[in-house]
Amino acid sequence: MPTWVRRSYKRMLELINIWVYYDKIAAVRDLSLSVDKGDFVTILGANGAGKSSTLNAISGIVKAKKGKRHSKTEGHFKGEIYFKGEKLNGLTAAKIASRGIIQVPEGRKLFPLLTVRENLQVGAYLQKDKIQMQRSLEKALVVFPDLKDRLRAKARELSGGQQQMVAIARGLMAQPEMLLLDEPSLGLSPVLRQHLAERIKEISQEGTTVVLVEQNARLGLMLASYGYVVENGKVALEGKTSDLLNNEDVKRAYLGV
Amino acid sequence: MPPVGIWIDGLIQSCTYMTMAFGMVLVFSILGILNWAHGQFYMLGAFVFYYAVTAAGIPFPVSLLISGVLVGGLGILVEKFIIERVNIPSAQGALYVTVATIALIFFFEGAASMIFGMQDKGLAMVLPGVLDLGSFSVSYQKIAVVIFTLVIMITMYIVLNHTKVGLAIRAAAQEPDAASLHGINVERLSLLVMGIGCALAAMAGSIMAPVFIINPFIGGIPMIMSLLAIVIGGLGSLTGAIVGGLILGFLNSVVAYHLSYFSEVVLFVLVIIILLVRPQGLFGASRK
Ligand SMILES: Nc1ncnc2c1ncn2[C@@H]1O[C@H](COP(=O)(O)OP(=O)(O)O)[C@@H](O)[C@H]1O
Ligand SMILES: [Mg+2]
Repeated sequence: MPTWVRRSYKRMLELINIWVYYDKIAAVRDLSLSVDKGDFVTILGANGAGKSSTLNAISGIVKAKKGKRHSKTEGHFKGEIYFKGEKLNGLTAAKIASRGIIQVPEGRKLFPLLTVRENLQVGAYLQKDKIQMQRSLEKALVVFPDLKDRLRAKARELSGGQQQMVAIARGLMAQPEMLLLDEPSLGLSPVLRQHLAERIKEISQEGTTVVLVEQNARLGLMLASYGYVVENGKVALEGKTSDLLNNEDVKRAYLGV
Repeated sequence: MPPVGIWIDGLIQSCTYMTMAFGMVLVFSILGILNWAHGQFYMLGAFVFYYAVTAAGIPFPVSLLISGVLVGGLGILVEKFIIERVNIPSAQGALYVTVATIALIFFFEGAASMIFGMQDKGLAMVLPGVLDLGSFSVSYQKIAVVIFTLVIMITMYIVLNHTKVGLAIRAAAQEPDAASLHGINVERLSLLVMGIGCALAAMAGSIMAPVFIINPFIGGIPMIMSLLAIVIGGLGSLTGAIVGGLILGFLNSVVAYHLSYFSEVVLFVLVIIILLVRPQGLFGASRK
């Protein structure tokens, strides 16, 4: 086969038999999942189930081989990850971002001493020129108009809710094809959580493929169309969110019904 | 009150320590390491500058750039082929880097002795003359030291605060993972930053070359002083490196004027007093 022929693909993102290890301890065990273009998928599970590890394997924070020094998480993974038919294994996080996958990490990971505007500029690091950057900024501010007045503030001076908005807006600045959101609702009040949920819904409706990791199962199931329930690093259950919402096990374990 | 000349000498020393310390902190903020051979890059820079000026007859400012580029390039090689390899992601990594860069001190001093010889060299003829200001006079060389240091520091300020690569450096220093998630290649940035740090040391060595003598062992003192400057300023703070460098240059010069012996001891005591009052350094973030 000539090298320019890409592996034909149906799924936008495919994880096949993923194992994530920290040292020798497996945090993700033989997990497979897939996401179609335009989908809104949620990954649910208790604290420590392996949700973040899975996202970090996709984005390259957890490397395919033993990690180098620049990542604080020193995990590595086995298995195969395909994005639009191309293997991501072995690519650096920066390369994976340039392919169109942007992760909004758990705990926001803003640049605390940079201004909000600078944080957003870093988000647009992969944009070719200033015009594109400006266009992304305008688009992001349409989704998060509250940030307009805060552009000059240092990120660490913002409230938790505003920081989460900056984190997602920063992710949008790259105009990603796929957005990975890791527990965006963590630590937010119910009102803010609702507000944020609406923004995420908008982003999905605009055409961005979204993978949302949530401990707050109700939120994930309300927003997404397809869900994976992860327990002890494995997919315990998957299906349409409408079905999962009515599943007795899900109700008992995750919805407190 | 010491005479004006002592303060001027203090300012000259400040310029060296500031530039050196700035480079060390920049490297530390991205690579998380202290390069113990930083002073030897200063020394190598002085030699490159010396030969560019004397043997090749290249003008003063161009020689300064050549020295920065060549020695900066050497720094990149050291990062790529030595530091990156020994800096494994565990507690031992930092120790290996320390051992490796201390070994480099002896390697560079030995290599310089072999290649350039151990006898002192001087560049006093580069910028002869003095500026007479009535009650005192300043040599043009010393004025050049201050001007070139200012130019370098202003350039660094502009690069860090008003360019895309500068933004990437600041972002990667604060949250390397988040930076890489947005497309910043932190490994490549590390090489660049190591290059800049070593180039700054080399340019400091070059700027000082006409004022002092040059030999393979001139790197030690500026290195120790810049390290103290960093400790005073607060490890990790670029502003701290500049202010720490300024304080230390004047302190060193003034203390040495009053005491011919043990002046370094007094210096260390003063540094310890500063740290007792402000353990995190003047500009360091206090630990949470
Ligand atoms: N950097 C790390 N080093 C060691 N163990 C880790 C690291 N990150 C996560 N783990 C472990 O891996 C397991 C899964 O963690 P994680 O993926 O963060 O779960 P979740 O996001 O679902 O809460 C947990 O047991 C956690 O303690
Ligand atoms: Mg998590």
